[in-house]
Amino acid sequence: MPAESLFSIRNLTVEYHTRAGDVKAVDDVSFDIRRGEILGLVGESACGKSTLGKGLMRLHRVPARITGGELLFDGRDLMSLDEDEMRMVRGGEIGMVFQDPMTSLNPVQRIFDHLTETIQAHEPETSIAAARLRAEELVERLGIRRERLNEYPHQMSGGMRQRVMISLALTLRAKLVIADEPTTSLDVIVEAKFLDLLRELRQEFGLTILLITHNIGVVAEVADRVAVMYAARLVEIGDVRQIFANPQHPYTRGLLRSVPNITLDDAELYKMEGAPPSLLHPPTGCRFHPRCPSVMPICSQKHPPLESVGEDQQAACWLYSKEVKHD
Amino acid sequence: MTPIVLIVLMIGIPSLILLLYIFIKGSMGLRRYILTRIGLTLPMIFVLATLVFVVMRVLPGDPVRSALGPKGTPEMVEHMRENLGLNRPLIEQYGVFLMDMASLDFGKSLIGGHRPIIDEMSERFPATLELIVPASILALVIGIVGGTYAASKRKAAPDYLLRIYSVVIYSLPIFWFGLMLQLLFGVWWKILPISGRIDPVIGTSLHKMTNMYLIDSLLSANWPALESVALHLVLPTVTLGLVLSGVFVRMTRINVIETLQADYIAAARARGIRERVVVYGHALKNAMIPVITLIGLQVAILLAGAVLTETIFSWPGMGGYLVQRISARDYTAVQSVITMFALLVALISLAVDIIYSLLDPRVRY
Amino acid sequence: MPPTEEKNTLVKPETETWKSDMERVGFVRRLFMARNWYGADWWFVAISTVMVFAFIFVALFPGLLAPFKFDQVVGTSFLAPGEYPDVPVLIVRSESPVEKLLDLAVPAEAIRPTVGVIQGAPAATAVNEQSKTLDAQLISENKGLRLRPRIERYVTVEELMVAIDTGLVQAGVANLKEFDAVASSYPSLHSGASITSETASAGGFRMGTNDIGQDVLSRLIWGTRVALIVGFSSSSISLLLGVPLGLMAGYFGGSFDRLLSLLMDSLYAFPGLILAIAITAVLGPSIYNVIVAIAVLYIPTYYRIVRGQTLAVKEEVYIEAAQSIGARRGEILWKYIYPNVIPSIAIVFSVNVADAILTGAGLSFLGLGMPPTIADWGIDLARGQRYIQTAWWLITFPGIAIMLVVLAFTMMGEGLMEIYNPKLRER
Repeated sequence: MPAESLFSIRNLTVEYHTRAGDVKAVDDVSFDIRRGEILGLVGESACGKSTLGKGLMRLHRVPARITGGELLFDGRDLMSLDEDEMRMVRGGEIGMVFQDPMTSLNPVQRIFDHLTETIQAHEPETSIAAARLRAEELVERLGIRRERLNEYPHQMSGGMRQRVMISLALTLRAKLVIADEPTTSLDVIVEAKFLDLLRELRQEFGLTILLITHNIGVVAEVADRVAVMYAARLVEIGDVRQIFANPQHPYTRGLLRSVPNITLDDAELYKMEGAPPSLLHPPTGCRFHPRCPSVMPICSQKHPPLESVGEDQQAACWLYSKEVKHD
Repeated sequence: MTPIVLIVLMIGIPSLILLLYIFIKGSMGLRRYILTRIGLTLPMIFVLATLVFVVMRVLPGDPVRSALGPKGTPEMVEHMRENLGLNRPLIEQYGVFLMDMASLDFGKSLIGGHRPIIDEMSERFPATLELIVPASILALVIGIVGGTYAASKRKAAPDYLLRIYSVVIYSLPIFWFGLMLQLLFGVWWKILPISGRIDPVIGTSLHKMTNMYLIDSLLSANWPALESVALHLVLPTVTLGLVLSGVFVRMTRINVIETLQADYIAAARARGIRERVVVYGHALKNAMIPVITLIGLQVAILLAGAVLTETIFSWPGMGGYLVQRISARDYTAVQSVITMFALLVALISLAVDIIYSLLDPRVRY
Repeated sequence: MPPTEEKNTLVKPETETWKSDMERVGFVRRLFMARNWYGADWWFVAISTVMVFAFIFVALFPGLLAPFKFDQVVGTSFLAPGEYPDVPVLIVRSESPVEKLLDLAVPAEAIRPTVGVIQGAPAATAVNEQSKTLDAQLISENKGLRLRPRIERYVTVEELMVAIDTGLVQAGVANLKEFDAVASSYPSLHSGASITSETASAGGFRMGTNDIGQDVLSRLIWGTRVALIVGFSSSSISLLLGVPLGLMAGYFGGSFDRLLSLLMDSLYAFPGLILAIAITAVLGPSIYNVIVAIAVLYIPTYYRIVRGQTLAVKEEVYIEAAQSIGARRGEILWKYIYPNVIPSIAIVFSVNVADAILTGAGLSFLGLGMPPTIADWGIDLARGQRYIQTAWWLITFPGIAIMLVVLAFTMMGEGLMEIYNPKLRER
């Protein structure tokens, strides 16, 4: 584990028990989140990225369970903690920003109450007055006037609510913030402001951010590294500029080509063949093989390991594996 | 000062003051909501009164003849019909009926004594009140706590047990349940009284002001009376309250389950809030909002249950009065009692809606 | 890189296995597979469906199951369950073809049969009297048969039993309780019919008799018919009126909707039982009036649910799509909205039947529902109430019956609701 790694995830598997069978929404995923970076996690819908995000905080409830792996956060394996200790980690050391700020805030609770409740849940000795003061200072730093703390969620605008969500994640000086599709429900201008805010916060608080999104543009703009997921597996990860300039995994290539670009001369929009597979009975071997333009016989037999393909870039593809001979 | 006037004042004046306070301090949205609700109550009362009229006068069947029985000669029948205005055109009858109801002129009882019905009712209404208030509280407590607990332990043993409880209780005929309780506690183990409101001997010592014996005995510090009243209250209250709780458990459970699936619940957990606080603080508070409105609709079940409970326990309330008057074919009294019930339903509905508006900040602001 | 055409051959037929198991099996298997999926709720629905069918069977064929007719006076009043009246009965050997006193009749010239009794017992007088009565009857029938048994007297029960056993007498007469006390010592003897007109069951009446001597169990079984008729009829009427009104109000909206909703909401809020009381009081006691009164009560329930669902479905995009291709309004209502509404209707129906039976029983209990000639659980409860201090079985069993029937329908509705309601599904 490199010294700069804040969170080492090893062989994480999350399963859902459904009526039709057991589904692995996250299948044997391993990667590191480095201290102080903004790591983007991209992929199509239902590829498992949201499940992964929740899994990192052990937020899953029956019927979903973590069935394997280690979560080494800041030197501790989160899997070994009991519920009370884990509860302290949630909010205290890892915070989460959800997709829809309207539904993520309790409609019958005032804003300041959200904050003070969180503070007191983690630091019960804090008085209400002290907690209130902390909350006010925090939100002002994020651009919300302190008088607005008395309001209810429905009285605020979308962008403001999202800032409230961030402040909730920061109240306890969390080291890692997991942002699950934070801009999907915001319009473009608000989104841009939000991303600026993320960058500032990373600077000011020394935050590490895991940004989960299906929007590649957002990742391009703000992330340092990017990880690509497909069908519950990690297929490529590395420095964002390198990957954008030189995507190695065929899926990543297809993904980047699919992004509409005004300057392109192409007559048609590029569309990848096929559709993401059912996770109930996924394809054997490499999950992308039924759609891959460069498919080889071994691809349907074994799943490729993650291997280095560049300076700060890894991909899971038999094309780059030293084991396989290919012409 | 008749008891009913006293009670109306006791409940009415604080309610009006509260209403005014809410009105003044509330926002525009809240005021509009309250006015709208009050505005809707009037048509509701109107519709219900009309319904009563239709049932009592328009449906086939000759109540007057039944009232007089086989002894009634045609002249007597005619005379009574004339007296009650039954020979006038229907529209005119309707108008008179509405005006009478509006001025609370319920007329006189047809049978046995010709007492003004309002006097009869003012004695009975407090009795019914004294039954339904504790029963409702019991039902609410069991229902809300039980329902939330079941929802939080979904698909585990407590959930199924509570669901079975609510289904079984709901299927119990309330009159049978009351009879069984009487059998158990009044006949086999003679520990609780099974009829009446108070021991007759002690009852004579009680100075009745509001006709709500609990309050009266407290006010006059009549401890034997208080004890007797409390004992007499146990079985009827448990009967009515338990049966009602089945419905409440079910409603609360469903609403809390739905609420627990909301994003803000997951978000609260993600902030490290304790599970118990999440369920009873966040989820329950939100679930209460639709539940309150649903509970308001259950007033119907409460009153229907009260009628049956009063019959079994010989409780001298409005429900028992209704049944008694029907057997006696006292049609004026029956009409009046039913109208009173309609009024009660409309008012409780209004009260529940106003409480709801106070709970939901989306309405308040 | 291999050319793109080859790619398709790599999607082998085996990958088809990931097609859902569901789609490959028939309906009945699916029904049983559902057990694993829905867990306890499946049992809820399954058990209650069995119960419902059982009750329907009982309601359809009460004569098969009930030992007696409901208005038949079969014994002394107020017999506790299992208790039997201490009537004098005929005791015979098991192989003997004789069952009742009349069986001992023989042609006038034949040897007179002998009957044993215990000296001084009331049974002795009973035999004499009955024989005389039956004999007179036989004479008037003029078939040549006479009944003039010769009476042999014994001192103890045991002597009588031995006499019957060894054939010294053709039959004996003793009080049933006396016989039962010693019956085990004489396995080849059994008791036949009572010699008086009161019937006796060896085991007594399983649920006792009521205040005028009718068998409680039989009345219970016959009462199922009434309960289910009331339940199904009134619910069907409510459904037939409420559903179309709800569909129309939801779909067409406007002032029609507002007016109707005001009426329905007021009706819904009003205590059902009280309204039913009012209606039956005015119309008079009869089963039809009860059905009508209860039906009126539940129309708003169907109306509200159907209207709510219609409003929700109306907003769905596929309705817009249908409209844009020119589907007529009636078509839309029938083909799109109605099918979505059906599961809710089924659920409401089962709970409705349960409620209707409860209300019907309540009405009869108050004396307002049925004429007293019909066997009905509510009426039985009302009659039994007066004797609560002495005859507990009169109120216990009818109440349990009501509870079980209502429970069956309610459980069915509850279980169906858990299965169908998408909001309650796990994420």
